[in-house]
Amino acid sequence: MPRNQDIFAPSTRIEPPAERPLKVYAYDPSRGRRLGNSLQIGIRYEKLEPGPVGSRFAVVDYDGSQKVYYDQVDLDDPMILIQGGLDPSEVDPRFHQQMVYAVATETLERFEAALGRRVHWRRPVGDSGKTIHGKPNLLYLHPHAMRQANAFYSPDAHGILFGYFRASRTDPGENLPGQTVFTCLSHDIIAHETTHAIVDGVRPYLMEPTNIDVPAFHEAFADLAALFRHFSHRETLLDTLQRTGGKLYDIHLRNDGQIGGEAAGQGATPAEAADPQIQADIPLANPLIALATQFGQAEGMHGGLRSALGTPPDPRAIRTTTEPHARGAILVAAVFDAFFTVYMAKTSPLFRINRAAQGTREDLPQPLADLLAAEASRTAEMFFGVCARALDYCPPVDLTFGDFLRALITADLDLYPDDSDGVRDALMQAFRLRGIVADEAQFFSEGSLCWPRLAPDALELPRELAFGDPNGLTGDEQDANGDILRTWAEKNARRLGFDPTIDIDVPSFHPMFRLCQSGALKTDMVVELIQTTYDPPVSKADVEAGRTNGAMPLRAGMTLIVAKPSVLDGERGPPHVRYAIPKHLTPERVGRQRAAFGVQGVVPSRTGRFGIDFALLHEGA
Amino acid sequence: MANAPRPSPAAAPGSGKVRIRMYRVGFGDFFLMSVPRKGGGLAHVLIDCGVHAKDLGAMPEALKLMQAETGGELALVIMTHRHADHISGFATGKAIFGGFKVERVWMSWFEDPTDGKAKQIQAGLTAAAERLQAALAARAAPGDDQYAAMASNILGVAGAGGSNQVALSVLHGFRTPDGKSTPVDYYSAGQPAQLPQSLIDAGLTAQILGPPTDLALVAQMDNKAHQYLTAEGDDAEPAAPPFARAYVEPAYREPRKPLFSAREVEKHIADSQPDMLAAAAQSADNAINNQSLVVLFGYAGKTMLFCGDAQWGNWANFLFGGPIGASGTAQLTPKAKGILGSLDFLKVGHHGSTNATPRDVVAALKLGCCAMCSTEPGAYGCAKKGTEVPRTALLAALEKQTQGHLARADQVAVANTPADPALGALDAAFTAGPSGQFIDYLL
Repeated sequence: MPRNQDIFAPSTRIEPPAERPLKVYAYDPSRGRRLGNSLQIGIRYEKLEPGPVGSRFAVVDYDGSQKVYYDQVDLDDPMILIQGGLDPSEVDPRFHQQMVYAVATETLERFEAALGRRVHWRRPVGDSGKTIHGKPNLLYLHPHAMRQANAFYSPDAHGILFGYFRASRTDPGENLPGQTVFTCLSHDIIAHETTHAIVDGVRPYLMEPTNIDVPAFHEAFADLAALFRHFSHRETLLDTLQRTGGKLYDIHLRNDGQIGGEAAGQGATPAEAADPQIQADIPLANPLIALATQFGQAEGMHGGLRSALGTPPDPRAIRTTTEPHARGAILVAAVFDAFFTVYMAKTSPLFRINRAAQGTREDLPQPLADLLAAEASRTAEMFFGVCARALDYCPPVDLTFGDFLRALITADLDLYPDDSDGVRDALMQAFRLRGIVADEAQFFSEGSLCWPRLAPDALELPRELAFGDPNGLTGDEQDANGDILRTWAEKNARRLGFDPTIDIDVPSFHPMFRLCQSGALKTDMVVELIQTTYDPPVSKADVEAGRTNGAMPLRAGMTLIVAKPSVLDGERGPPHVRYAIPKHLTPERVGRQRAAFGVQGVVPSRTGRFGIDFALLHEGA
Repeated sequence: MANAPRPSPAAAPGSGKVRIRMYRVGFGDFFLMSVPRKGGGLAHVLIDCGVHAKDLGAMPEALKLMQAETGGELALVIMTHRHADHISGFATGKAIFGGFKVERVWMSWFEDPTDGKAKQIQAGLTAAAERLQAALAARAAPGDDQYAAMASNILGVAGAGGSNQVALSVLHGFRTPDGKSTPVDYYSAGQPAQLPQSLIDAGLTAQILGPPTDLALVAQMDNKAHQYLTAEGDDAEPAAPPFARAYVEPAYREPRKPLFSAREVEKHIADSQPDMLAAAAQSADNAINNQSLVVLFGYAGKTMLFCGDAQWGNWANFLFGGPIGASGTAQLTPKAKGILGSLDFLKVGHHGSTNATPRDVVAALKLGCCAMCSTEPGAYGCAKKGTEVPRTALLAALEKQTQGHLARADQVAVANTPADPALGALDAAFTAGPSGQFIDYLL
């Protein structure tokens, strides 16, 4: 603007919108046009190149099986903008690119909102094994990467590969036999895979499968992110509420042909339904708790790929279930148990009013259904937030279900000390019912499960530590912080419980800005400290040169939650550690890791990582 | 010649020593355990008889030797699991076995024809193996040999009387010395073992340690086979394009500031894709390996462990008391430690693969315990990834723990194949057959 222009003259610039509307499938194409399966979501507006390629994601539609590229969609094309995105279509690959970009961005936004900061992807590594600097860190999305019934996040490819396949000819479920099924059109699968990428960026060492809980945890966490999204979808919520009499967690719903003449609140099981004459008689699967329905049916499984609640809780199952998806399903069921319990507790006054008013008539009045739907959505958002924030309170390596339980309790207690909704109680009971316990906690109570909180003057950090602001840290601030933290960690190694002779890495540190119960903004920093030894031992020179010869890494780690103190009397004290969450090397841990690596046949990848191979884990998803 | 074999002393009747004989046939198992009878003579236990990959052509000769040694009479025949490299000898030697008298046959519960679940699992695995064989043949990629070998291991080599079905029918069709049909027992971990009378009289005891009847594990095996079978047939028709030609982009436009070039992206996609056929072959192979019958024999205060090809899933319950990697199950159970700490003979599982003998097991073995490994290198696995069979590091660790009492089948020459000079001479604890063919150990 020229210097002598009037600063009070109004700007004629047209402000960019906050959101870009894009259409996606709410579930997947198998639900057709029922109940708002075509959903318009609003994601953060950014300038996009054809692809679409933005600042966080790059969709490159290369088909690895046909070896061709497909037409790139230009989401800034006026024709597409006016309509709020291309209409859902299985036939047009440009819609697939749009959907993958939209759902992945939506998932990223949800996590950033819950975690209170910008999420970074894992640093890209070139073919030489060196980290790539100076280029934008984009996560690649390949909607039609391969011809397989599979979709997975590949750290080596720095992206998510989605496959497509033909449905089973013998048992295709609701698909046509031999129909092409695209995993990139399943809202659940996109959200699930993006969650893996997000967790890998937030906690890079959590991907090492050092015990059998780790792959199960990743599957469960990604499923939770996908499933909780279902409860934001109003039309399906309202419909399911009517079909379950408000209960929401029945696995099967009464179809239109079955509703007449049954008592309120009873769900139908296939056994109860008489032989169905028309499609309206067939009991429906509950879409809210089923995951990736089209995929599951196309593979010959009846119903979805997985369900949030499958079997009644059995505390012995956790001791015998080893397969990652089955084990993860126990964790998902525990969290959903707690979610539905809290939902029922919060809505029980509404049900009582309803029963007092109209006895036991099965239909819910519309205003009641609206209130229940709003409550379900709100509770789902809250639970998603609890789970996402718990990630920051987990130890940096070797996570077990018990550790995650402690992280859940601590994360919730930290931000919302008054638990008026009973969330923590519900979580503890649900986990206990399924035999998930925290080994080191002495009692099964909130106070004992919570990670120990340090006194304000117990562990202090240098005042120079920069917290920045919600817009992020500058490059200089980041470099300075790294040095400060490394020096401080080395100086305090013994107090922290590390071996003082070995280097301590600080792989990540992130300022977080979250609103706590009172509405005030809380500024913290989450810091990871890692110390690595190798088995068989590797000399320091070899480690620095990257020549570990496939030796198994043994890591001791600690997560620190550092508080930025407030200003008192015009002075600000030094930052202090509020929570120190340790995971030190013990012979038991080493033995367990060796056994776990042996069982899973873990070998180092192209870039030398010992990570979960999602391609094989998700084979058959 | 560096490894001149020493003649085998005849196991004298009444010597009170058990003799374990490992025949060298290639990549396969063929073991004969001979127990002195009370009234003189030897009672013989045949544990597996087969070869598949790396067939050295020594099987016919070995069968004749075994027939001569036993006089056509076997107290007990054990089939650990239905892989060709453990049962092909029953098919190719059908004529020889036709004249044998066998008192009893043991198999794992997966072979029980009255168990519906077992039948379903085996049928699923066989069907998956057939489909895999066709798919791998169609693909003919380099390095597919070992996966094709895994698939044919499950089916057996058709023709030349070698298929697994023929072997199974031979195993079910033996006759006792009395002329009756030989009883076949199907065992799972922990069930009491029914030894034939002659072995009981001789003083042999037996304990069944595997396979477990873990339903979750079993369901997993079944699921994977089912998934593979219902999946799309990628072998048959050429892949039809998913979109109309109009959507194909002839000239891809790269973004302004790409992270990876287009070529790099294409390479990443190609490299990241899992080899589904290989994975399916390995999973079917593992499933059958984990069906192995694991038997602990005892004689005159000595114990001998024959574990077939049992891998982690099979071992877990016995060794660690639960799913490995969970808290509280990282250490060997006291019972397992007790058994391993006093073990006198170990038949090394799965031809020396790293999955079959956990590191903790090696460490817990009695110092100076004897081990035999029937193997041939170069059949499976890849040394660069540390998955080669036999695994060098494992055998080195065993060598140390057994204080040198480790015998590998390829330490003796047989047929047209010389001994492997790199392996060194046979340890003094062992003796070799007159012209190779087998290695003996006297307990």
